[in-house]
Amino acid sequence: MPKNYILIELDSVTKIYNQGKANEVTALFQVSLQIEQQTMVCLKGSSGSGKSTLLSIIGCIFPPTKGRAVIAGRPLSRLPDRFLTIHRRECIGFIFQQFNLLPALSVIDNITLPLFPLGVPPGERKKRARRLTEMLSISHRENFPAGQISGGELQRVAIARALINDPPIILADEPTAHLDSRLSLEFLDILEHLRATGKTIVIASHDPLVTEHRSINRIVEVKDGRVHVP
Amino acid sequence: MTTFKPTPFTIIIDISYTVRPLYILILLLGFLTAVDTLLFVQHNLAGNRLDGHQKIAEIAVAGLGLTDLCISTEARYTRHPSISDPVVPFMDHLGAIEHFPSGSFWVPVTPKTLFTQNN
Amino acid sequence: MRQFIEKNFNILDYALTSLWRRKFKNISVMVVFALVIFLLASFQMVTSALTKTAANSLTQAPDITVQKMSAGRQEAIPLAYLEKLKGIFGIRTVVPRIWGYYFDEKNLANYTVLGLETWEMPTGNELNLTLAEGRFPQKNETGLVVLGHAVHQALDLGDRKVLSFFRPDLELQSFKVAGIFSQNLEILTADLIVMNLEDARQIFTIPGDHVTDLCVYVGNPVEINTIGKKIAALLPGTRVLTRPQILKTYQMIFSWRSGFASVCLLSALAAFAILAWGKASGLAPEERREIAILKILGWETADVLVIRFWESFVVSLLAFILGCTLAYIHVVFFEATLFSPVLLGWSIIHPKLQLIPDIKFADLLLIFCYSVLPYMAATVIPAWRCAIVRADSAMHN
Repeated sequence: MPKNYILIELDSVTKIYNQGKANEVTALFQVSLQIEQQTMVCLKGSSGSGKSTLLSIIGCIFPPTKGRAVIAGRPLSRLPDRFLTIHRRECIGFIFQQFNLLPALSVIDNITLPLFPLGVPPGERKKRARRLTEMLSISHRENFPAGQISGGELQRVAIARALINDPPIILADEPTAHLDSRLSLEFLDILEHLRATGKTIVIASHDPLVTEHRSINRIVEVKDGRVHVP
Repeated sequence: MTTFKPTPFTIIIDISYTVRPLYILILLLGFLTAVDTLLFVQHNLAGNRLDGHQKIAEIAVAGLGLTDLCISTEARYTRHPSISDPVVPFMDHLGAIEHFPSGSFWVPVTPKTLFTQNN
Repeated sequence: MRQFIEKNFNILDYALTSLWRRKFKNISVMVVFALVIFLLASFQMVTSALTKTAANSLTQAPDITVQKMSAGRQEAIPLAYLEKLKGIFGIRTVVPRIWGYYFDEKNLANYTVLGLETWEMPTGNELNLTLAEGRFPQKNETGLVVLGHAVHQALDLGDRKVLSFFRPDLELQSFKVAGIFSQNLEILTADLIVMNLEDARQIFTIPGDHVTDLCVYVGNPVEINTIGKKIAALLPGTRVLTRPQILKTYQMIFSWRSGFASVCLLSALAAFAILAWGKASGLAPEERREIAILKILGWETADVLVIRFWESFVVSLLAFILGCTLAYIHVVFFEATLFSPVLLGWSIIHPKLQLIPDIKFADLLLIFCYSVLPYMAATVIPAWRCAIVRADSAMHN
């Protein structure tokens, strides 16, 4: 794929929650955005600005109410839920705020969760996970329950989980919200490395450590459901 | 780097990637099936043994004209429900209470005469 | 296809580890469920064993039993009726019998006293095979009795061979123990005291020309009902009981009792299912979070439902197998100790129940259908509502 290939394309995307009901809310309005492959984009905005909704549409969690969204070459608008899930599984890796790992499961089980519905046998799952744990220097924690490892290690486990399916797009929602500055910078360095290997990364954050990091190619401001693309 | 000390949890995880939980379930079901198979064999053997007793039981029933199993012997309608009188209150004794619980389970049977029975 | 199978194995693995993660809760549910199934299955096995024993043993009961009725109650039947019966074509033999109950005040036990001329009965000359020791009284031998094993124990005779009974006129009548029934036949003979007709007549002071009933044996078993009708017509004041009727009575009694107990135990099962429904309807925050995370990681709603299905199925299947296995062990090896007070009542004479349940696939399937299926319905159906947790809720934590 050429480097300036448009991997994420949103054209006049509007998202309305509870359409037609008394509590109708327009979370996004007429958002148009293009993100090229192998770039790192930061969606900057305060809480309630629509960042998470925008991230959910990019992440193929739900389609837009109006407008056109094409993610990794596939338009989302008319995709049924099942195909949306499959597309999300193949193309998107998520890193959440607080990482959203299952504390009772081991590190390796957390990392390989996305592989279960793909019918990957246990041996193969472990092999793929091991490659990532070695790359991220957490192989010594493979068999520990996720609830018993440190914050920095949790961060790496979350990254490993996002990468297990080798998706072209990585989405991170406020990933540094609960990290100190050292861990935040470490995290951004890893993301920069991933971008260098060909990944496209979209981070939703209002943390200055993120928005002002050298690895961010573009900042998109989200305010009141609209974006301002410089 | 933290030294890795295996704990029962980590050992279980390691095992679960070597031996799937599914296999453990199959093993457990296999064990229960083996136990049930043994009981089935015992059932057949005991059945054969009881068949031997069965012949003697038939001799006893035929030789003595027995009509009921000896299960509840506290009253005639519980001991011989098939050929006893219909039950009336206090029929044994004015102070006699119901023979609980077998009396409540033995439905007082009023055998119809062949004249009133539908063919 | 292989991928599909592997996917389902993976989901099953996940369900099993999920069960193990909450092992105390799940094992408790399984144990309680197994207990309910154990009770149901035990009851069904006991009644099926007793029905089978009755059906097998009582096939040799007299073809027709004739009793005299007066004012709706049984009374002694004149021996003259015997001569009338001998005139009916098709009747092979008629054997008079005296039987009644003797209440032992010391032990508060009720014994069945049976007086008949055993040599006139079918298999009468083989009756000694039913004894653990001794022999049956012969013709013209009086003062001899054969005791059931439980009677012998209740009277605490030990090696003594003499026992006495009170007649209605309070005179003491002594007998010598000629034989004791085998313990293997306790279910038929536990409370029996068998003696010659004359001795029974003495004990109950029944007049010489009366007995309590007549055992009628026909030449052709197919003719039982026809001959029964003839007897009823010839002797209108009598109650005529045929063997098929007696067997049907037993079937009815056991079915009624089994149904009654099943209704009681089914309500326990219904309560359990309602509890399971209540539990499954509400989602703990951790469970909700887990489902949201799974969905965002690419698990479909159907996959989440399959997890719940496997969880319920494994718990209920293990409970079913455990419950039925324990029920069988309880009935066969422990003589249904939990139920024997219900079945035997509080009678003093307790026969040893050597029960071998009649295990039919249909019965097991029935227990499976009214235990496992309702439980699964009670857990999987509410899980549907919970499985539609939105994936984006994981984003908002």
